[in-house]
Amino acid sequence: MPKIFIDGQALEVAAGLTVLRAAEEAGIQIPHFCYHPAFAPEGSCRMCLVEIEGLPKLELACSTLVKEGMKVQTTSPKVIEARKGVLEFLLAEHPLDCPICDKAGECKLQDYFEEYGLFQSRFNETKEKREKKFALGKTLILDRERCILCTRCVRFLNEISKTEEAGILSRGIHSEVGVFESELVDNNYSGNLAEICPVGAITDADFRFKTRAWFLEKKESICPRCSRGCNIYIDSHPGFPRVPRSRRVYRIRARKNPEVNSHWICDFGRYGYADLDQGRQEALVWKKEGRDTPLSWTKVLQILTEKIRYLILRRKVSRLGVIFHTNLTNEELFLAKRLFRMDLGVEKILLAEPPPGQADGFLLAADRTANRRGWKEIGLAVDAADLAGLAGLDLLLIFGHYLAASFSPADLKNCLDRVETKVLFASHKSSLDALVDFVVPVPVSAEKSGSLTNLDGRVQAFRPALDFCGDGVPEWKALLDLAKELKVDHKYYWPLDSPEAVSQALKKEIPFFQ
Amino acid sequence: MEEKVLTRLFGVEGITRLDVYRREGGYKAVEKALEKMKPAEVMEEVKKASLRGRGGAGFPAGVKWGFVPQNVPKPKYLCVNADEGEPGTFKDRYLMSHNPHQLLEGIIIASYAVGIHAAFIYIRGEYEAIAQRLEEAIAEASGNGYLGKNILGTEFDLDVVVHRGAGAYICGEETALLESLEGKRGHPRLKPPFPASIGLFQCPTVINNVETLSNVPSIIQNGADWFLKKGLPKDGGTRIFGVSGMVKKPGIYELPVGTNLRAIIFEYAGGMKDGKELKAVIPGGMSAPILKADEIDLPMDGDSVVDAGSMLGSAGIIVIDRETSILDVLKTVAKFYAHESCGQCTPCRIGTSWINKIVGRLAGGEGEKSDLDTIIHLASNIKGTTLCPLGDAAALPILSICQKFRRELEGYLPHA
Repeated sequence: MPKIFIDGQALEVAAGLTVLRAAEEAGIQIPHFCYHPAFAPEGSCRMCLVEIEGLPKLELACSTLVKEGMKVQTTSPKVIEARKGVLEFLLAEHPLDCPICDKAGECKLQDYFEEYGLFQSRFNETKEKREKKFALGKTLILDRERCILCTRCVRFLNEISKTEEAGILSRGIHSEVGVFESELVDNNYSGNLAEICPVGAITDADFRFKTRAWFLEKKESICPRCSRGCNIYIDSHPGFPRVPRSRRVYRIRARKNPEVNSHWICDFGRYGYADLDQGRQEALVWKKEGRDTPLSWTKVLQILTEKIRYLILRRKVSRLGVIFHTNLTNEELFLAKRLFRMDLGVEKILLAEPPPGQADGFLLAADRTANRRGWKEIGLAVDAADLAGLAGLDLLLIFGHYLAASFSPADLKNCLDRVETKVLFASHKSSLDALVDFVVPVPVSAEKSGSLTNLDGRVQAFRPALDFCGDGVPEWKALLDLAKELKVDHKYYWPLDSPEAVSQALKKEIPFFQ
Repeated sequence: MEEKVLTRLFGVEGITRLDVYRREGGYKAVEKALEKMKPAEVMEEVKKASLRGRGGAGFPAGVKWGFVPQNVPKPKYLCVNADEGEPGTFKDRYLMSHNPHQLLEGIIIASYAVGIHAAFIYIRGEYEAIAQRLEEAIAEASGNGYLGKNILGTEFDLDVVVHRGAGAYICGEETALLESLEGKRGHPRLKPPFPASIGLFQCPTVINNVETLSNVPSIIQNGADWFLKKGLPKDGGTRIFGVSGMVKKPGIYELPVGTNLRAIIFEYAGGMKDGKELKAVIPGGMSAPILKADEIDLPMDGDSVVDAGSMLGSAGIIVIDRETSILDVLKTVAKFYAHESCGQCTPCRIGTSWINKIVGRLAGGEGEKSDLDTIIHLASNIKGTTLCPLGDAAALPILSICQKFRRELEGYLPHA
């Protein structure tokens, strides 16, 4: 462990660290553009220059390794002057179009100018004219006037996606980011380029001119679109209820987690946010004789309780069926197992899942549900949904709308017509809606609390990133309400009043989750 | 003159042919090294000779060879820097076109000393005919057992490949040269790691200038002491000074290291042309800070020129007369570096272009009072902050011109 001094502060740091990383660990930020923790140091922006005692020139913090006894100055007059110099150079050829730039508010060039610049421009010359709307990728637009040539995008395509679609073309002041053979950046990770661009050079066509960064509320969540469990931020307009055709979520961004997704997410996950606002169930309804009658959850709960009590009394629990999916949280699946299998002894518990996709060899997994591993660990044995087995049931509780994706509407209708009462708990509309008696809107994972277990067995807890706007009820609450109303094992269920409380019980009972 | 080392055989008819070169004593040094000396002894001899790099930085060649780790399983490479692009420099082209076997001999001995079996000559793209001549010399040397497998019946193998550049000044910077040779953009690399440990194709690599290597055969043949006596104790041998500009006899002059600059201009190069008066001298290729007429009583060795505030660089001496406008000089310098900046790092990419824009405006008669100060400010911010030496190469001459000829330049500014 070399002992070093940064701005007079004595630090013991791990050998092999760069000065920049060592400083970061001590809470000292050294400004940088081209450095990114996921890439090999590039050293081209020259923003991270620091003074190291005994060396004649300023040195790069991003590439210089710490050495025993090294004395680093990050705020000496020489360093400050060099930083100003770099900013002055970058801003000289920058269009300064922050008022119409989507990066404004989260732009390193803006931030650093506020912090280290604040000079009057001496630039009296004509700026270079460059392409401002170059189609770089499927969803990416490159503004070459804003580009500071940090080459983070090029290095991402070389080192991370390994698709190598782009490079630097031309020389000197005419250098520019370009694609080879006029092809687009086209891979499942392209959206990361807009995120790692430190300025507004690469913007997401999907986000361009839609809102300002400072209007957005940034909340942590877990991507539910495959079993990887990538950590994400969901950026939304606060106070924007889900009104038809208005936008609540503006973008999804990667949230760093070295154990799961490093700094990245895939485009499939990133651009899936339309799902959060589109095609959602909005009202709890009773579908009676072709008409939707609004109902409250209390009322539905009452009807359900009566029907199940009746089946228990008549010893006809075998005529109760439940269909699940593995996008439910660990807590919900745990409650489902406890209530239906252990307390009520329901035999007919089935699974209806979204169809699997193709794994892409990096983050995106073939399994397109968020919690299949959690379901396995909880040990809720089920059969895959089979229509023939459903006919003749008195009551069917359907969680999720995925049946609609697996069977034809005619087959579904034929089968469900032979079930007396069908209750659908779904977040999204589907052809199933017309075939059931009650539709209860439920939140998506971004709108609820709980935890998911990713394909590697990592249990990741999350809190709501968005408000749940439907008049339905989260599945965990529906299950708890039902258990409490049925008065099965009152002592067990009574203290459970939140996903956190359920999580405690889960951890106590299943060692995997401890 | 008998002191000549490198250009001694330039006048000999047919010297570019192997048989003539051998008749004149050529390849004797290779024979001596391979047959009578151990690699370490060869390296030691070159170290003792204080042979400083002739490309510009002036690093001792033998010491550089010694940095190459000998205990790695990877192959080691020699890259000959023949990308002679420094304005005012035209010595390597003569060395290669007038005596290609001398260079090859140097390459063979250096490779033997370091344990290298593949050498690349990275030659400036414009030197097409010279590249052709080198290819011919390599073919001849291979045919006569000086290259290829089991050279002179020993265990030592060496192949030499000529690679032509594509016209970028930056590829003369050693790490950009390596990138270019690997087939990539000629962008300089971050150092460390240094090429001696991680160079071409990630393998240990020696990079030497043409003139440096051309000196090696004489050192081996005649011994380090003989070579040292030609120059100075810490800077042995001769230098080829390329004199251009307003002199009567522009050309290359091989003279002992430490020869006086005034003597080179006024005696060897015949003095000023057409009775013109000396105004300034750039002593070591365009990257070197300018010297005023009264600053040229100066021994031309690395340390002395640095003490005088400039650098010996490639020893390309550009002589400027009184009638030449210093603004034209500044314009040429500014334009060159703006054009040749590779664009990788911020201060050089934007700084050189910005300065060039100001100087262009000045030259167009639209100068502003603050322009000179702005140029000095910008050049100072380029100096010492760039990824490779090109930043300093641009900033130092520009700073020196603006500072030493400030009064003349102010004449181009609008008066208050």
